[in-house]
Amino acid sequence: MDETDAELVHSVRRGDRRAAGRLLQRYLRACRAVALAVTGVEADADDVCQDAFVVAVERIDDCRDPAKFGKWLLQIVRNRARNLLRSDSGRRQVSLSDTTPAGDPSPATRVERTELRERLLGALAQIPEQHREVILLHDLEGWKHREIAERLGLPEGTVRSHLHHARRRLRRILEDGGTLDE
Amino acid sequence: MSDLERMDLSALDPARDPEHWSRLTETTRLRIEASLESRRGTPKVLDILAAWHRPILAAAAVLALAFGLADAAISARGGALDGASGARRLAALSDNSLGRGLRPTGTELMIALKARSAR
Repeated sequence: MDETDAELVHSVRRGDRRAAGRLLQRYLRACRAVALAVTGVEADADDVCQDAFVVAVERIDDCRDPAKFGKWLLQIVRNRARNLLRSDSGRRQVSLSDTTPAGDPSPATRVERTELRERLLGALAQIPEQHREVILLHDLEGWKHREIAERLGLPEGTVRSHLHHARRRLRRILEDGGTLDE
Repeated sequence: MSDLERMDLSALDPARDPEHWSRLTETTRLRIEASLESRRGTPKVLDILAAWHRPILAAAAVLALAFGLADAAISARGGALDGASGARRLAALSDNSLGRGLRPTGTELMIALKARSAR
């Protein structure tokens, strides 16, 4: 049976590397999703999720409720991502093509995928940040409504509503060629 | 409210480039381990107090020994002073007796010495 977040946090406080590795495995992708929801830039999201996780481990004693480690961690991610936006806005213009995987089969496919990512990120940029977090955690990371509600500190009904509106608006934006006038 | 179908966001999946994602995960893991290592090396308040325990006891033992030696030295000095005053009393007794043309008797000498040890 999987150890709970609280058990893992207590182990990390005792210096247990394995427990830290388990938390990393459990949350790094979600951290990246939240960082992407805030920054809108994949390279920045990578940096933020990594730094935030290290900071969380360094300040693990400050996590007042170890059972809510996920919520606490994602708040660190959000804060760091927002700080990055405030302090380093120029860097956000990095082209997504810079992060194109080297292992893609052909230049044409790479361009196609890059365009798809740009369209998705462009569409995401047009919906509220909290809607972006919800849809990325649900549709990309596969979290359940309840998990998202607990870790974002929202009522489950609100999560469902955000997800519904986010999907509807994203679809409309993508169908309309990337812009939505409302 | 109808729940719309899940959207395909796989183009944003960080693991679409497994090498990059694996490198990022590994770098994060190493940084966390380094942090845990330095955490082990950073003593907490209780650890610091515990670490002081032994030196404090050692210092207390040294001080106790020093005080003991000083006390013994002072006592020894006090004994010498007692001896000097006893000698003075014996000298005074002898002087007094000789002044009267007499020798101090054994009883008088014993009384003078007892007077010294009684101090």
